[in-house]
Amino acid sequence: MFMVDTHVHTCLSPCAELDMHPAALVDAAVRAGLDSVAVCDHNSAENAGAVHRAGFSAGLSVIPGMEITSSEEVHILGLLPDLEAAMALQSKVYKSLPGRNDENTFGMQVIANEFAEVLGFNEHLLAGATTLNVDSVVAAIHGVDGIAVASHVDREGFGIIGQLGFIPPGLALDAIEVSHRMPLPLARAKFAPNGEYSILCASDAHEPKDIARAATFVLMEAATLSELRRALAGEGGRAILGGGRPMEDLALHILDIAQNSLEAGATEIEIEIWENLKEDRLTIKVRDNGRGMDAEMLARVTDPFFTTRSTRKVGLGLPLMSAASKAAGGALTVDSKPGQGSTVVATFRHGHIDRAPLGDIETTLMILLAGHPDKDILFRHQLGNQLFELNSRDFRAADIDLASPIGLAILREAIRKGESGLRNYV
Amino acid sequence: MNIAEAAKKIDGTLVTANAAAAREIQGGYASDLLSDVMGNSREGDVWITMQKHVNVVAVAQLNGLAAIILVNGRKPEPDTLAKAEEMGIPIISTPLQAFDAIGTLHSLGIRGRRQV
Repeated sequence: MFMVDTHVHTCLSPCAELDMHPAALVDAAVRAGLDSVAVCDHNSAENAGAVHRAGFSAGLSVIPGMEITSSEEVHILGLLPDLEAAMALQSKVYKSLPGRNDENTFGMQVIANEFAEVLGFNEHLLAGATTLNVDSVVAAIHGVDGIAVASHVDREGFGIIGQLGFIPPGLALDAIEVSHRMPLPLARAKFAPNGEYSILCASDAHEPKDIARAATFVLMEAATLSELRRALAGEGGRAILGGGRPMEDLALHILDIAQNSLEAGATEIEIEIWENLKEDRLTIKVRDNGRGMDAEMLARVTDPFFTTRSTRKVGLGLPLMSAASKAAGGALTVDSKPGQGSTVVATFRHGHIDRAPLGDIETTLMILLAGHPDKDILFRHQLGNQLFELNSRDFRAADIDLASPIGLAILREAIRKGESGLRNYV
Repeated sequence: MNIAEAAKKIDGTLVTANAAAAREIQGGYASDLLSDVMGNSREGDVWITMQKHVNVVAVAQLNGLAAIILVNGRKPEPDTLAKAEEMGIPIISTPLQAFDAIGTLHSLGIRGRRQV
């Protein structure tokens, strides 16, 4: 598995800090445990070469790129195969980029080498918009064999949904990106409920401390652009395993696992959380009646380094939950047979300092129950001697449509009441 | 006031041929963030914007807007124009900047109607 941050700026971007020079960027990326970064300055790739050279000496894969501002003021990342492609795209962008930079207003645009030395200043108005519309930007990126990604679609300003209301149908994006504000399972539920887009999580770092504040975990053979392209398309056993802040709330892990169950055709899902404070134990169990997996697939989903030629996308996110559980003195097991569903059990030491918080159970349940009102979803949360149980069958039996505004309100109230009731445990 | 009359008052050109130019204007909204327009404009509004991407037509259709007014002399992109003709959404192109176009329409009694 590779951890990649596909959106990092350098001191060339007027809004970035001077201490984000190529060597510092590479240092911070290596310290954060990244396998690969993509350098994407605004409307320019002039520092990509220096970052690439600094990365080469440090053993970090560096993908050259650019964050292009379209005429609609939408930010689109071009992740590019090599420096030659970056220079070709850059000259096209410069021809369509009016204005000159005013350092006092927008900031310095520093061209630096890999030895933290200033080589000069870029004079284009990199903070401005090109005259290319979104379709032309995507076409220009594809013209140099790059990958086109809509930047931070969860942000109003400069995000494609904020600027254009929705993603134009037919726009040939290869992926959409969400910022550190939005974890991948939520992004999937919100922007690609039916798998419309592959999603990357990236930091959009403008200073070294922000590198890898969000990242994507990718199952692929090497940290290269061509491998990433195959992972985004789900080809040849490559896959996007997960993403977001490296340590997510457990509620998001649960959502991720349950989304896998739905993808595996499950009609019944049981989610159980047991908090046993006396024995310092937290156990999370997700059981489904989906397609299930054979032994080979099981090995694959629990060990991200195991690769087969299989092309089925399963188990996205399991390695991440496994890592979260191991970090808190526990373990993750998966029990599954073809045609007999799957059961995932993750244990944690409840009071372990590295145990991630349970987080937003309400959102996880709202997405699952309201998003799939036809499925049988049973949720049990036990804390000490208190039990909160929620069954989607009960809502159906009472003729409550969970997808209607009233149904949503009733569901939300039931979850809030049940979860807050648990605080009175003995 | 209808669309054709409003176009004249702001020195605008009705660039769509097949659109409801006789439709009465109920109010106005100005924004270049389409997500904002989707949330805040109201049926029968004229919409003042710089955006000329084809998505403007979908947003106007969705909210039942009376017309799209492109300011600073901007012309719709070819696919925007084609979509507007297909959906019957009038597009006016005016050489005025947004501030002056809005001021003129406001002085003629067209008002913003967003509920605060």
